[in-house]
Amino acid sequence: MIKRIFIMMMLALMALIFVQLATNYTENTSLTRLGSYYAENGPREVGAPNLVTAVVVTYRGLDTLGEVTVLFISAAGVGLLLRRTRRKADDEDLETGDRAEETTGTHKAASEIVETATELLLPMVMLFGVYVFLNGHLSPGGGFQGGAIIASGTMFLLLALPESHISRLLVALTESLSGFSYVVIGVLGVIMAGGFLDNRIMGLGTYGDLFSAGAIPLIYTLVGLKVGFELSAVLDRFRKDDTGPV
Amino acid sequence: MSPIADIPLSLIVLCSGLGLVLIGLWGMLTQRNMIRMIIGFSLTDTGIHMVMVSIGYVTGGTAPIINAAVPMSEAVNRVVDPVPSALVLTAIVIGLGVTAVMLSFAVRIYKARKTLMIDECTESRW
Amino acid sequence: MISVLGDIIGNLLLLTGALFLFSAGLGVLRMPDTYNRIQTGTKATTLGTILVLDGLAFLHPAWTFKLIILVFFVMLTNPVSSHALARAAHSIGTH
Repeated sequence: MIKRIFIMMMLALMALIFVQLATNYTENTSLTRLGSYYAENGPREVGAPNLVTAVVVTYRGLDTLGEVTVLFISAAGVGLLLRRTRRKADDEDLETGDRAEETTGTHKAASEIVETATELLLPMVMLFGVYVFLNGHLSPGGGFQGGAIIASGTMFLLLALPESHISRLLVALTESLSGFSYVVIGVLGVIMAGGFLDNRIMGLGTYGDLFSAGAIPLIYTLVGLKVGFELSAVLDRFRKDDTGPV
Repeated sequence: MSPIADIPLSLIVLCSGLGLVLIGLWGMLTQRNMIRMIIGFSLTDTGIHMVMVSIGYVTGGTAPIINAAVPMSEAVNRVVDPVPSALVLTAIVIGLGVTAVMLSFAVRIYKARKTLMIDECTESRW
Repeated sequence: MISVLGDIIGNLLLLTGALFLFSAGLGVLRMPDTYNRIQTGTKATTLGTILVLDGLAFLHPAWTFKLIILVFFVMLTNPVSSHALARAAHSIGTH
């Protein structure tokens, strides 16, 4: 009871602060100084029509490196916490409940309708994900969004065809190689051009082409592959009947 | 009709974002089921993202993509701020990572205790 | 003249589609049973979405091809997902 009153009081105080924030808010009528610098010089210096991509990949490239690291650490954390421990036969007290659930589970094979629809739709979802991260510098999208779409395609596969196997070795290998190449390209930017993750290590090309804006398509392809495979590995760990290797 | 039409768009998004933060906080504090607390955290996260995006809005602005629709010469007058959108991009990904780790914690606690209520897991409390 | 006719047809289709979508929501709320709710939700929302996209094709004739592809996707995925839902509900044992 006292706890409830305390919680309500705390929420009321926070609501008071938020009301103060909302009433003193006036909409911007023109861009801030930083925003106008990016809007004026971004397309010319970076060569990418999408300003958000230019900011994320080149102007604030170090933040993106931190983001990639945080994703990697969280995927490693999930892999550590949900590790398969079913190998030993003497782990009775931990596994008895799970084994009972497994044998009496309501796990049926997927019906033919769902299988056919999956075979038709899965390539289209993956293709769409690849399209999103390849066109990251031309239209809204980018590596992280495309990677999330690829991971949702994987989840589609896991839900519709529960017996499908994903080779964990291939996924881990691709993800590590992509992350490593991303850092290598960043360091190449320091050596060959202005700073970390500078995209002028490759030629800027014609404005608005698919292969323009220097190294941005390459960087976003690597990020998209890394994020897609990483999230697929995380989803794979949450499966109920884990029968793959650790 | 006119008092409704005068409210700026970003103020509506700001208020709904702040409302979502409050709802998520209430969910995290009052619910006893672990999955509901995680959902409350996700709601708070989404609310904060909406607040950050709404701050970058410029009146009458359009998406910061400089192609045939918005030529380079008039870009400064017509686009919204790209920096908050870029920050929110990072924030969404990090929220996803944190939620994944929280859910795997919940799975392990369920396997060890057969329950998801946090009232049963109070042995570390002093 | 043709554009006025196209506008009228497009707006009529949009309105009908919105009506069907509203009735889908009403049905999901008021139906007594799980399976009834599943079948109401799927049928009415699929038809409502298709009508809305068709109305949009009349109002913006330049987007017709993309909207037809969208209609194809909706018709492919909505019934399959409701089938999977109903099958899962049956295997858990909801009556």
